[in-house]
Amino acid sequence: MSKPIPLLREGEMPCQPVSLASMEWNKTGSWRYLRPRFENKIPPCNEGCPAGQDIEGAIVLIGKGKFLEAWDLFKEENPFPGVCGRVCYHPCETSCNRGDFDEALSINALERFMADMALKHRRKPSLKRREKRPEKVAVIGSGPAGLTCAYNLVRLGYGVTVFEALPVLGGMLRVGIPEYRLPKKVLGEEIDQILELGVRVEVNARLGAGLSLDDLKEYQAVFLALGNHKSRSLGIPGGEARGVMSGVEFLKDVNLGKKVELGKRVAVIGGGNTAIDAARAALRLGGRPIILYRRTREEMPAFASEVHEAEEEGIEISLLTSPVRVISQDGRISQLECVKNRLGPPDEDGRRRPVEIKGSNYVLEADQVISAIGEEADLASLPKKLGVEDNTVPTDERGATKQNGIFAGGDIIRQPHTVVHAIASGKRAAIFIDAYLRKQKWEGFFEALRVGQKGSLSMKRYLQEESDRPPLSDKTVLLKDLNLDYFEYKKRLKMPRAKASRRSGSFDEVNLGFNEEMAVEEARRCFNCGVCNLCDNCYIFCPDVAIHKGKEGELNIIDYDHCKGCGICMEECPRDVIVMEVEGR
Amino acid sequence: MKKIMVGNHAVSWGVMLARAEVIPAYPITPQTTIVEELSVLCADGRLKARFIPVESEHSAMACSIGSSAAGVRTFTATSSQGLALMHEMLHWASGARLPIVMANVNRALGSPYNIWGEQSDSLAQRDTGWLQIYCESNQEVLDTVLQAFKIAEQVLLPVMLVLDAFILSHTAEPVDIPDQKLADNFLPSYRPDMRLNSKDPRIFGCLAPPEYMMEFRYKIQQAMLQSKEVCRRVDEEFGRTFGRSYGVVEAYRCDGADLILVTAGSITSTARVAVDALRDKGRKVGLLKLRLFRPFPKEELLDIVRGVDKIAVLDRNLSAGIGGIFAQEIRAAFCNEKDRPPIYSYIGGLGGRDITLQTLNEVVYQTYERSRPEEVSAWVGLRT
Repeated sequence: MSKPIPLLREGEMPCQPVSLASMEWNKTGSWRYLRPRFENKIPPCNEGCPAGQDIEGAIVLIGKGKFLEAWDLFKEENPFPGVCGRVCYHPCETSCNRGDFDEALSINALERFMADMALKHRRKPSLKRREKRPEKVAVIGSGPAGLTCAYNLVRLGYGVTVFEALPVLGGMLRVGIPEYRLPKKVLGEEIDQILELGVRVEVNARLGAGLSLDDLKEYQAVFLALGNHKSRSLGIPGGEARGVMSGVEFLKDVNLGKKVELGKRVAVIGGGNTAIDAARAALRLGGRPIILYRRTREEMPAFASEVHEAEEEGIEISLLTSPVRVISQDGRISQLECVKNRLGPPDEDGRRRPVEIKGSNYVLEADQVISAIGEEADLASLPKKLGVEDNTVPTDERGATKQNGIFAGGDIIRQPHTVVHAIASGKRAAIFIDAYLRKQKWEGFFEALRVGQKGSLSMKRYLQEESDRPPLSDKTVLLKDLNLDYFEYKKRLKMPRAKASRRSGSFDEVNLGFNEEMAVEEARRCFNCGVCNLCDNCYIFCPDVAIHKGKEGELNIIDYDHCKGCGICMEECPRDVIVMEVEGR
Repeated sequence: MKKIMVGNHAVSWGVMLARAEVIPAYPITPQTTIVEELSVLCADGRLKARFIPVESEHSAMACSIGSSAAGVRTFTATSSQGLALMHEMLHWASGARLPIVMANVNRALGSPYNIWGEQSDSLAQRDTGWLQIYCESNQEVLDTVLQAFKIAEQVLLPVMLVLDAFILSHTAEPVDIPDQKLADNFLPSYRPDMRLNSKDPRIFGCLAPPEYMMEFRYKIQQAMLQSKEVCRRVDEEFGRTFGRSYGVVEAYRCDGADLILVTAGSITSTARVAVDALRDKGRKVGLLKLRLFRPFPKEELLDIVRGVDKIAVLDRNLSAGIGGIFAQEIRAAFCNEKDRPPIYSYIGGLGGRDITLQTLNEVVYQTYERSRPEEVSAWVGLRT
């Protein structure tokens, strides 16, 4: 809550209780020096979502049982709620004010729930679109960045062709994430919905292999979203032996349904999601995986929930362990020589560096090694003009490269390598490709389209006429702004999961999703931070009956002829929707 | 120029000399002749003021608040039940920091019905944020009207001057009427910066929610504390101009005293005679006149009584359940002082019962005889 106190110290106050300026504007007279006003603000979840989704708005709809409408709202900003509802690292939940109260809302599970409902009811998105335009745009790569860019460019009226190197669409979503985390059916449906908008696709079209940027002259703009599909090599003696494969390749083969020859004892090297996915996939293929990670659990880049699920499934994790040599016998791996580490001082990214403990070498029996120590982009095919540095494509705040008309996004630019950041970069590129093709000034876009202060942009706002856009609040509502007296402690609902014992032999989905009752119950835990949900507390508490009921579904009305500016409405608003402003001096 | 006049007319003439501009008032015994005389002065043009006959004392004070907020020198007068009826408006006047001056003729509050002198009406308004000055003579009454406006307009707080029913209000004494020119020099016209003005409309008495109320109250307390010095300076200036001054308290024959009698109002003039007689008999008795009651002149009192064996306080008032109010106030003010003399509390003269030399002698002799003060106030002149 934030009642302004214009005069902070006793010494600044007049001795007489008299207004500091003329009150001529108020013909009936007033006691008031502060004026209440309804102002919806930014819920921290919306701000925390790089894709700028109206999470709070959708949760309100779920709470009312309007599941499909909630999904419609999500689709305005993100074509992949079914994907994100499963694999997003959900910074929205990290931002959720309930997290500091009891437990963050299960936003991710609710997102998945909406998508499941839409799939079940064969809902098609009803999207606002602009009139068709003559320009065409080429999108290279059909991962979350590329497809999101295509989705939004089509909505903005452009003809879009997506070029995909592999025979299937989806990029890492398709070939990097195993079925038990992201079923192909879910991904396929969401990709189909993008294609149904009129996006053209060319598969098996790899840049640098029969396709070059020069071939794309008919396109007035290009979006590069090649992704990081190359595993870093282990770089240890014997690392090239048969039986050593990269995690990315392994997962790709598994996801594409290829027959994979896998040993029994599978040593997976790395602590990221690829390592965990590879180990869990190996388990499902009948292997007995062990994960070797050079630092401790704290430093593991993988999602904690994934690590936990892996352990539930019986996968061993050997921490502070580095492989130093692959030992082969008869042309096939037999053992892996490892060394133990201790943690040294932090490196550039703040994580403590592993330091080898001399003489701690030991030998691990293993007939298969999967290396998942990080992925990088293969940008050899890109022209020099783009100035590729450090295996990334330099871009400005729009996602524009050094070459006019060429934009880039996803894992090949400098940003966190997550699905939702890829989606955000695809949306951003669509907006600024539009501005580029229409030769518009774009500097004001960030201010006009922002969702909060963390850089998320809203496509819904972009598609609205400027005059139709609702006013944007500068303020993100935090826990301290809420009146917590109105909220009860209630633990968050957890998604049911398949029993660990049943998971090992099957690629069936592990997380089973909410049912309708659970979704409604969880949605109603939402504080609705900064957004009026017509709770009527202001109407009930106003001591001067100066707040009148609004029309059905609309904000209440403040009667300024009778309001004394006491601020009780603001104090009693559970969600910081009422601001008190100093009367015009 | 000296005139023989009753205390109430001394008030009215003081108001005329102060050139009050608005007088909303409602008559009540024993204040009526103040209002009557003022209405005459207004009617015959000697006082160019707007006299507003109102329908009650509550209206009188409400009207005074409006008039004072408009930046106009404002006077009203009342007594007893009338003052009680004003109670809520008294807070409003001080809270709004309006320099209204009011004369209150001390009279007992009913029931039972009684129109005679007692200090309980003004003391019941102790906490309303008004300065209170208790007068001893008709001359002091007139002089205090002029002083009161000057003090009020400097500290922006209302001032109540208090005179006893009948003993002053209806008793004629010679009163020296100050020269109008000297009075004008002493008390220039009142032109505040902030006033009700239709060309620059402001909120007066705006809402002060919890984040502001304490600061407003603090400012009143600060103004009250500073007003004591203002009272002292104004009284000194009055003395230089007119040759009469009164102090915020007065020590009468206190040198070398082993017992000091404390009184307020017209009792003091009787007590002067009593003290003179006792001194003649060799008793080392002094007299302390409490003129200013709010703000409370603690240091001034202490300076006088320090080293004295005993203090006797005679209260013409009663706070039922504790006793005499002046005695309580002095006890409370002294309680953290090391060399505080014991305080003997007496109640007498309630409801207009005469306080005679005999009453005062009884107070003094009882105090001499007792080795320590009674737990509760002793009553003098009570028929048992």
